[in-house]
Amino acid sequence: MIRVLLADDHAIVLEGLRALLDGEPDIKVAAWTTDGTEVLKLVQQHKPDVVVLDLELTSIKGTAVIAALRDRPSAPKVLVLTAYNDGDSLRSALDAGADGLALKTESPQQTLTAIRQVHGGQLVFPQAARRWIEGRAAGAPGDLTPREREVWSLVAAGLTNPQIAERLGLSDNTVKFHVQHLFSKLGVKNRTEAALKYAHGPPR
Amino acid sequence: MHDGPVQDIFAALSQLQVLERSLAGDAMAQQRANQAVQLLERALGEIRNFIGAFRPPGFERRALGEIVEGLAVQHETLTDQGVELDLPTDLGDCALPTKIAIYRILQEALANGHRHSGASRQRLTVHRRGSAIALTVSDDGKGFDPQRVLASEADVGVEGGHFGLRGIQDRVAMLGGSFAIDSAPGRGTSLTVTLPAE
Repeated sequence: MIRVLLADDHAIVLEGLRALLDGEPDIKVAAWTTDGTEVLKLVQQHKPDVVVLDLELTSIKGTAVIAALRDRPSAPKVLVLTAYNDGDSLRSALDAGADGLALKTESPQQTLTAIRQVHGGQLVFPQAARRWIEGRAAGAPGDLTPREREVWSLVAAGLTNPQIAERLGLSDNTVKFHVQHLFSKLGVKNRTEAALKYAHGPPR
Repeated sequence: MHDGPVQDIFAALSQLQVLERSLAGDAMAQQRANQAVQLLERALGEIRNFIGAFRPPGFERRALGEIVEGLAVQHETLTDQGVELDLPTDLGDCALPTKIAIYRILQEALANGHRHSGASRQRLTVHRRGSAIALTVSDDGKGFDPQRVLASEADVGVEGGHFGLRGIQDRVAMLGGSFAIDSAPGRGTSLTVTLPAE
């Protein structure tokens, strides 16, 4: 069962999505809100698997919410749901480290698909996002140490630092150190970008 | 364009799809609900092509390079036509009216290149040339006779939000820049615009 938290400053959208999601056999809406700070409280309380949020929320912005969620030990997957299919939304979602982007100008069925995909560890972004990151990234994957490549593949598989630490038998701090080096060598800002870059061209 | 209609239609579609499912067993009613779903999806598809274009893309917040980059990504996602972007990292920023003009000009030039060229990709370069910003939008598509198009646009004027080549030319003249178009049937198109940065 995929437990979902919905955050959108349009009450009608919340109501519609809630009805649609609750009709799915594998999805349950755990909580919903129009307020950004409320999202953080509700995540703490309900521990959802996926947070679906619009970037425009009351009290604090969606990007700040995502950043705050990212710092948590067992962070939920985040799917940005927006009306705007433009560079600004895409960039904000990528920079904040979201797992995917779904559009309100597509059928709500697409949102359902995207929720399942991000829950399954996939990154759901338009094709253009990959080229964008590819163009920006400076470092060459060839410079990576074998350990960094290993960490990279696990980051790309959607594992958190503690999970990677457990998998590789390392301490959390050591993993954090490898991840920082990996990001700077790849020229990426966060896990989302590292994973997209991995999908585009894994280490040679 | 305000995003209100998108929120309403998206919410209505969600509700309708719940309704459609609950009508299982009544084939006729389900079919009607499905038709309504398809109509609304089509309306959303129409809006999708406009909404990005009318949102202020954060001109005050973002430097010129980021604005251009965002526009290229937006064009690619909307049209599936590739944009080969040549953008120096040290491009810097420019005055607000220039930045807005550059955005509108590139938006129109890319849209033209998509509508008329038949090319699978366009090339977009933005460079600083002394105290000016130079833009080039080019493709190796069908091409056209620029004199004939400019002459015919002079009679038509602005229509449906597309201001065309003539619109680009007027905008450039207003800011004291220069405008050149190089095209001929079968030879592709290259549009070059230079604008004072400040």
